[in-house]
Amino acid sequence: MADLKLDQIRKSYGAVDVLHGIDLDVKDGEFVVFVGPSGCGKSTLLRIIAGLEDITGGDLMIDGELVNTKSPRDRGIAMVFQSYALYPHMTVYKNMAFGLKLDKQDKAAIDARVREAARILQLDQLLDRRPSELSGGQRQRVAIGRAIVRQPKVFLFDEPLSNLDAALRVQTRIEIAKLHQDLKSTIIYVTHDQVEAMTLADKIVVMNGGNVEQVGSPMQLYHHPETRFVAGFIGSPAMNFTSVTIDGVEQGKVTVSVPGGVKSVLPFDVPASEIGSQVELGIRPEHLSLGDQGELTVNGEVDVVEKLGDSTYLYLKLANGDRVTVRAPGHSRVKIGETVTASAPAGAAHLFNGQGKAFTKVDCPAEFSAED
Amino acid sequence: MNFANIRREDASRAVIVHAILLTYTLVALYPIFLVVINAFKTRKGIFKDPMGLPNADTFSLEGFTKVLAKSNFELFFYNSFTVTIVTIVIVLLLAAMAAWALSEYKFPGNTVLALYLAIGIMVPIRLGSVSILNLVVDMGLVNTLTALVLVYVAQGLPLAIFILTEFMHQIPKDLKEAARCDGVGEFKIFFAIILPLIRPAVATVAVFTMIPIWNDLWFPLILAPGDGKQTITLGVQQFIGQYVTDWNAVLASLSLAIIPILILYLIFSRQLIRGLTSGAVK
Amino acid sequence: MAHSGPMTDWRKAKLPVIAFLAPATVIYTLFMIYPLLDSIRLSFYATPSGGDTAFVGLDNYRTILADPDWSATFWNSFWNNMKFFAVHMLIQNPIGIALAGILSLPQLRFRNTYRTMMIMPTMLSVVIVGFIWQLILSPVWGVGADLLDIVGLKSLFGPWLGKEGSALITLSFISVWQWVGIPLMLIYAALLAIPDDLVDAAIVDGATHFEVFIHIKLPLVLPTVAMVSILTFVGNFNAFDLIYAVKGALAGPNFSTDIMGTLFYRTFFGYQLQLGNPHLGATVASLMFLIILAGVLFYLFAIQRRLARYQL
Repeated sequence: MADLKLDQIRKSYGAVDVLHGIDLDVKDGEFVVFVGPSGCGKSTLLRIIAGLEDITGGDLMIDGELVNTKSPRDRGIAMVFQSYALYPHMTVYKNMAFGLKLDKQDKAAIDARVREAARILQLDQLLDRRPSELSGGQRQRVAIGRAIVRQPKVFLFDEPLSNLDAALRVQTRIEIAKLHQDLKSTIIYVTHDQVEAMTLADKIVVMNGGNVEQVGSPMQLYHHPETRFVAGFIGSPAMNFTSVTIDGVEQGKVTVSVPGGVKSVLPFDVPASEIGSQVELGIRPEHLSLGDQGELTVNGEVDVVEKLGDSTYLYLKLANGDRVTVRAPGHSRVKIGETVTASAPAGAAHLFNGQGKAFTKVDCPAEFSAED
Repeated sequence: MNFANIRREDASRAVIVHAILLTYTLVALYPIFLVVINAFKTRKGIFKDPMGLPNADTFSLEGFTKVLAKSNFELFFYNSFTVTIVTIVIVLLLAAMAAWALSEYKFPGNTVLALYLAIGIMVPIRLGSVSILNLVVDMGLVNTLTALVLVYVAQGLPLAIFILTEFMHQIPKDLKEAARCDGVGEFKIFFAIILPLIRPAVATVAVFTMIPIWNDLWFPLILAPGDGKQTITLGVQQFIGQYVTDWNAVLASLSLAIIPILILYLIFSRQLIRGLTSGAVK
Repeated sequence: MAHSGPMTDWRKAKLPVIAFLAPATVIYTLFMIYPLLDSIRLSFYATPSGGDTAFVGLDNYRTILADPDWSATFWNSFWNNMKFFAVHMLIQNPIGIALAGILSLPQLRFRNTYRTMMIMPTMLSVVIVGFIWQLILSPVWGVGADLLDIVGLKSLFGPWLGKEGSALITLSFISVWQWVGIPLMLIYAALLAIPDDLVDAAIVDGATHFEVFIHIKLPLVLPTVAMVSILTFVGNFNAFDLIYAVKGALAGPNFSTDIMGTLFYRTFFGYQLQLGNPHLGATVASLMFLIILAGVLFYLFAIQRRLARYQL
């Protein structure tokens, strides 16, 4: 078990910069998830931590030790690959024992550790099989087992679930969460799937274009996204955005005109200099409900209806052409072509300036806040 | 680049790796290089300073002048060129047709025919030379380039058919199905749709067909050894046999044989490796 | 063989299928299969001087293998050929495999340039290669001695190609120099097909690059190594050009460089006072065919079947 510290980590391939100075602290036993769209640099960052890529600049500390120039085997890490990367010519047993054998451990110790890992992962019956004789889920467990036997300080997972079908993915996700509870090990986990990030992480690191957008607990990111990117990335279906104009500013209050001419007063600290400027208003589909009981209202024509059973998603077209998704109850009878009004409490709104940075919300109600 | 972040073991490993690779590269290239530079020297230069580059004192084209005067190198080139190009075109066309039929149509004996056509990959055609010569004599084709082309086509077909069949298996079914639905005939499907699609494999097949033909000594020696029908390889062999003590001429004739193939190789080497690594040959 | 879908029934297109297959099959049969079979047939016939060609059963084989004039020559060339093959297996293929392994190291600079340069000798004609080395090793020119002098081994230099004891080995090394490109290319291509993740996984497991090669890469390309070996075998037992170019049909000195290919040529076309004999030539060719066939069958049934190809 160990903590991990990234200090201004940079990575370039020739003239192309892929990581622009990443700072991050990972505490002992923490489950940290790197999430972001493909090409955001999250996998590169993981490979840097693993020692599979050189560091262009900055410092990487594992367990208080600078490991910039250490080879993977001296870092005390183990990694689970997206493709599982099982050695096709070795049995499950040999796959798991390979690293220990290279380490010249004695046979009995290797055997004990492999069998213990196999027991935890229910691979006992499969030890003599080759990877080609295993199902996708079994291969996945072998890949995890290969990491466990090495008793690493830090586990690294690179999109481990993306090759599994949907049902197996949910099941394996739960198993990984359980494994973390049992082993209490430090885990760094890369995914592009925000649901995996939300369900697994103690701490989520949202990455975009080689930068860290925001670091925080799942609920912090959900309720207090610091940037428009994070707001749009976390949550499913994605947050609605529409351009609004700032009409007036008071202490802790801002008046905006929503498309369709409706004015709303929202609880944000906005500098007076922003009066008259265009900003982005964000609101989550699950915070909108039909009717005009909330302070923030939108009108639009429904052009798509998706029924999911427990809820119904209505897609509204606003006067300015923007689309807004509303999560209505499953029994909703709204039909395509109807014009409806939907509203949300002012406290549910998010406001982002022209650079995509969030304005500070004041007096945030408990139901829209991550603080307990 | 921050050199502080490069592992020392990596740096020393890189040095060793490049030292090994450079050494072998030198071993592979230096003999060729030596022959080519000495071809441009006077006889004195060749013997006094064999490893030096030609300079004002030693530079001379006398070897090349002699070769071109005493031998018919242009003709040998022309013969090799004709035989190689004609063979490649025929092999590619016939092999593509056969590979297409084998990979696309279900007919009795398909697998047997494919195996039959693959025998020639492993069994060298030279072993049939006695009968090939009889055949060529019976057909009245002794000392003709046609005889060489026929034999080389037979020699090149097995591997070409094998590579192209593997390649054609990768052609998406939809393409030909769509064409069939439009009522396009089978010939037209092949010539208009399939033939243009196999272009990536053509370079690989062409190189594998071309190199052994261009370099072959055996069949020119047996089937077309004289009458100005010599290929470049045979021509050089006969020329050197005749002028073995004339170092200028020998070196120049070798260079003349080396340089064109090296240029061709440098142009096509990328396609060759790409073809190999795309899984066409396993 | 993997098919990209169900194949089309040929009854819908009989004429095109026949037209597609006929030209290749006819030329191949006429100039490859028929001559091979006809050569075997000819090996059972003989034409006595002044007489007519007649069936003689296994007489030609008896002559080649047991006649005191012939058998020593035959077995000499056979064993020489085995030595020639052994040098390729022990030197050429290990060097090719090692170079391919080094070239496939991750993050290697100038990879393509090295590869292109190293394969260059393979592209040259065997005849040209033979002459190049004949010049370099010629004591008259002395370049070989000069080159050895650079590494301080000048005293070792000798007229290797001219001595009975060293000529065959020297020629084998020349051939190795030329053909290293084949194992290099084929094994390099096979190594490239191994997913990067597998190598990364082994590195994370604590393997050095050398251990990755020994424990992961090499086992996965063993089928290609076996294929390269059989290609080497067939190529070696079919070799002719190099010996003929450097040593002539007599494969001197004193037949010390005589291999099956040169024996075949001499038997077929004759040399000096001995007349050529197509029937004995065909017999030698048939024996070569048997040797190659034995090698290929051994590969197909004893080796290839035991080597699993792993889905990568």
